Amino acid sequence: MAVLKVGILSCSGEECLGGTISRLATRKVLEEMTMVDTVTLCLPLYNAGGTEERNFASVFPTISVDGCDKLCAKRSTEKYSGRINGSIDVSKIIGNENALNTRIVRNRDLKEEHFQMVEEVAGEIVKSISNLSPDAYSGKSFRGCNCGSE
Amino acid sequence: MSDKVKVVPCSGIGKVFGLVAREAALSTVQELCPDKAETVCLAYIVTGDEDVKEKMKGSDCITVDGCPKMCASKNVSLAGGVVVEEVKVLDTVKDHKGKKFGSATELNDDGYMVVNEIAAKIEKRINEIA
Repeated sequence: MAVLKVGILSCSGEECLGGTISRLATRKVLEEMTMVDTVTLCLPLYNAGGTEERNFASVFPTISVDGCDKLCAKRSTEKYSGRINGSIDVSKIIGNENALNTRIVRNRDLKEEHFQMVEEVAGEIVKSISNLSPDAYSGKSFRGCNCGSE
Repeated sequence: MSDKVKVVPCSGIGKVFGLVAREAALSTVQELCPDKAETVCLAYIVTGDEDVKEKMKGSDCITVDGCPKMCASKNVSLAGGVVVEEVKVLDTVKDHKGKKFGSATELNDDGYMVVNEIAAKIEKRINEIA
């Protein structure tokens, strides 16, 4: 039986709360979702020569999670792997003011309200995974073959 | 353009040392040296946008990497930043053999102890150059 595998790429932006929420929501889905095999990919590795990362996203369905409307994770994935199957803009879920908060960014400064935001965004990631076309898993929409070549 | 030293962590999402790097960098720019240092989103640097290249070009940067792939350092250099110090989390961690530091989601007390040690090293370097 084919393994249902999905890649989640978080921006993890260090400048504002949106990046922290994107990172934690991605981690939450990774740790708690059991229906499909979720894998997270290191975004900085794309540019630093991470061929495994680039090939994964060109073969398996991939969802980007961005903390703000610059959509860095989405754009970088499209640039290096060609296409993306789902995209989440955290600022649209928690609001721009929260997403661009530059005072509360560290994990240790987060309060209950921020963990609620993590829950909400994690829910959206799961929804996005649920909405993936069956073709994304079956190979019909793959750009490359399973060996990872383009 | 800000002339603050840019402290850029890898924030690697798959391993605890990515979170250590992130927390150490944020501790430095928010608490220890807010007037001399700032951070820039590594994901933004990775996009290669002209705006971020302009921001990074010629800037003194300290990178903090959680694994030997050195993604923060490589990406900062590619964007035109001048890496004056490559901080490797593993260099500090090796002094604490046998300890667990938490997970990539949440650090424990030992994790934050390492964060504070690394942040102090970064602060020292910032005070030397700024």
